[in-house]
Amino acid sequence: MDRMKIIKRRLSMSLRSARPVDDSLSELAEQMALDEPSAARDNEPMVVCALHPPASHSAPSFLRQYAGHLGRTALRREPGGGLERDRAYLSIVHENVKMGSDGESDQASGTSSDEVQSPVRVRMRNNHHRRISNEDINKRLSLPADIRLPEGYLEKFAMNSPPFDKPMSRRLRRASLSEIGFGKLETYIKLDKLGEGTYATVFKGRSKLTDNLVALKEIRLEHEEGAPCTAIREVSLLKDLKHANIVTLHDIIHTDKCLTLVFEYLEKDLKQYMDDCGSIMSVHNVKIFLFQLLRGLAYCHRRKVLHRDLKPQNLLINEKGELKLADFGLARAKSVPTKTYSNEVVTLWYRPPDVLLGSTEYSTPIDMWGVGCIFYEMITGRPLFPGSTVEDELHLIFRILGTPTEESWPGITTSEEFKTYNFPRYHAEPLVNHAPRIDNDGHDLLSMLLQFEAKKRVSAEDALRHSYFRCLGDQVQTLADTASIFSVKGVQLQRDPGKRSSAYPESSKSSKIQKIEVKKQGMRNSQWEHSRE
Amino acid sequence: MEGPSSRVPSTQHGGLWPSGGRDLCEETESDPARDMKTHFRVCRFIMETGVKLGMRSVPVATACVLYHHFFERVNIHAYEPYLVAMSCVYLAGKVEEQHIRTRDIINVSHRYFNSGSPPLECDKEFWDLRDSVVQCELLILRQLNFHVSFESPHKYLLHYLLSVRALLNRHAWSRTPVAETSWALLRDCYHGTMCIHHKPQHIAIATLYLALNSYGVELPVGERQWWQVLCEDVTEADIDTVISDLLQLYDMEAKCI
Repeated sequence: MDRMKIIKRRLSMSLRSARPVDDSLSELAEQMALDEPSAARDNEPMVVCALHPPASHSAPSFLRQYAGHLGRTALRREPGGGLERDRAYLSIVHENVKMGSDGESDQASGTSSDEVQSPVRVRMRNNHHRRISNEDINKRLSLPADIRLPEGYLEKFAMNSPPFDKPMSRRLRRASLSEIGFGKLETYIKLDKLGEGTYATVFKGRSKLTDNLVALKEIRLEHEEGAPCTAIREVSLLKDLKHANIVTLHDIIHTDKCLTLVFEYLEKDLKQYMDDCGSIMSVHNVKIFLFQLLRGLAYCHRRKVLHRDLKPQNLLINEKGELKLADFGLARAKSVPTKTYSNEVVTLWYRPPDVLLGSTEYSTPIDMWGVGCIFYEMITGRPLFPGSTVEDELHLIFRILGTPTEESWPGITTSEEFKTYNFPRYHAEPLVNHAPRIDNDGHDLLSMLLQFEAKKRVSAEDALRHSYFRCLGDQVQTLADTASIFSVKGVQLQRDPGKRSSAYPESSKSSKIQKIEVKKQGMRNSQWEHSRE
Repeated sequence: MEGPSSRVPSTQHGGLWPSGGRDLCEETESDPARDMKTHFRVCRFIMETGVKLGMRSVPVATACVLYHHFFERVNIHAYEPYLVAMSCVYLAGKVEEQHIRTRDIINVSHRYFNSGSPPLECDKEFWDLRDSVVQCELLILRQLNFHVSFESPHKYLLHYLLSVRALLNRHAWSRTPVAETSWALLRDCYHGTMCIHHKPQHIAIATLYLALNSYGVELPVGERQWWQVLCEDVTEADIDTVISDLLQLYDMEAKCI
């Protein structure tokens, strides 16, 4: 602890003395400043870890301040729009190098730093839009020629260097390209088509091995571009996610025309569930669904995975009432698209205002706004903010929650985006007026979810501990990741008041798929347009 | 490392790349030393291609990681390493969201192997090549079982550098190119399989450690070493292993010339 204090003091001292910005540092700092917001809020999983090494809590905060300061004074942008942030990695070094060769600091150094740096400089220059000569590129490894490796290392290296001793796995040695694609498609019987999506078609199927129903997501590969990156991302993420409230990926089948993902089968999505009970769900069931949604999400967020496309259509429900997150195609992507592959509009209804206003600081709160919207929709049976355009969406949000002011959302009045919309000044209406069935605890939780400012939104982890869920008992708080909430005695669904027929009627089509959804939304939008007038 | 002049230009029509690791003899028995050199050269190719395509550091690193993971599972003689490399670049672009078009990859690679030659015509050969790249991407996905998202040491190194800079006095920092050197060292780690055999944090710490040591920069010593403060689970032995792996690469480079 004392040690930390000393380091802290040292840090703050060097901070003060280092204020006169030196070029190389400012570039690093700029990078940090760019990285920082997301890092601070868990977006980029790895940055987060680096920012919060448990042993050095105090240091990062200083560094952040420092970085912020430098970032402002030395903000130097290159043309190139979206890539700016990305380039930063490269430009840091580049700028450093430039400084190294022209800057005065060089003379001060005892070493022949010009030589030291030249290989690096050559490399970096290449990253920088200049003409690339083959010679430049063919320079060897970027280790400075006269680098003085500590002798101890060279000795050690000489002593234990039986080089190239790593044997190779010979498994699959005879595999060849022609072998691509003879998976085990015959293991699954294809049943009816469930829907067609942006890059995939989903079929209901049955596994011959287990006799279980499965969902077969066929991803077409005839595209010139190979496997769609959303599919790659979805699979690579889902493989690591094992949780009772996240859809399970059973198998991947490769054939030459398509890639088939075999998921567990769930009867319907939350949208259909709500439709099937005439949009009047039992408030008890709302609680159970919301808890499961938060459980799945807390698990994702713990593992630094954002879902980023939460909506009732992506929440699947089986006949036991287990709710599972599905469709991770956008998870961890670095930008939220407005159009899908086939140019369909992605729904805006569950998108938080900061993102609608152009924020790109994606981190876990991005998912929490959507949870609030879904919570409201389950309670009331209608979507909270069914906007059809970004402006419309913001308009609806502000009409109910009040147009943000500097008090309710610090910094908003300086947002160019916000100013150009020039929204009327609405006053916040109590959400209870719109959702009379919500109780006090529920209302409290809902307002914690629907915070304008991302950092003020309650986290999934904390939301699970909210008093709204107290009546589910303590046991649900300590469930193992893969245990269903219904494994707890006493937790069970109630009959939904709006339900027409008995038990769960077989629903016609399970539309996890956006296309169908978009149509519905379109219709609904126009209805709402009328009712608003 | 071969320069362009010593590289065998493809003579037969339709040949894009030199015959990878098989230029010495056609034996199929794997010789670890030679295979390692081949991988070294191919990774060099990935990095050059990456630079020419304007890829960021992390996607290039991911491409190399994909490449090494692939050939951990597959014998080098089963597939053309340069084709695998091209597909790794393509796949890394998708994984790290810096999409690179197959056409650009092919053109840049073509120029790499046939310097000074005109770009490929959009004929059957070109389309076949593109199909190969796309097919090979699927093969990689399949071999790696879709485990294609990796944590890279780059962001750790950046944070560590900031912390270390804060511990040093300004002059000590500006006199020595610690940041550039550690970044360069990190980049060089990707020439061998060491980049997939160590934790990203450890690689970051080790490259920084080696850079600091090489320039004789000393950090204030406390109860704990600076690297323990930055990364809790790293030991001196870990650092040593990473560094010795890296030095082996440099040693091999010297022998490759």
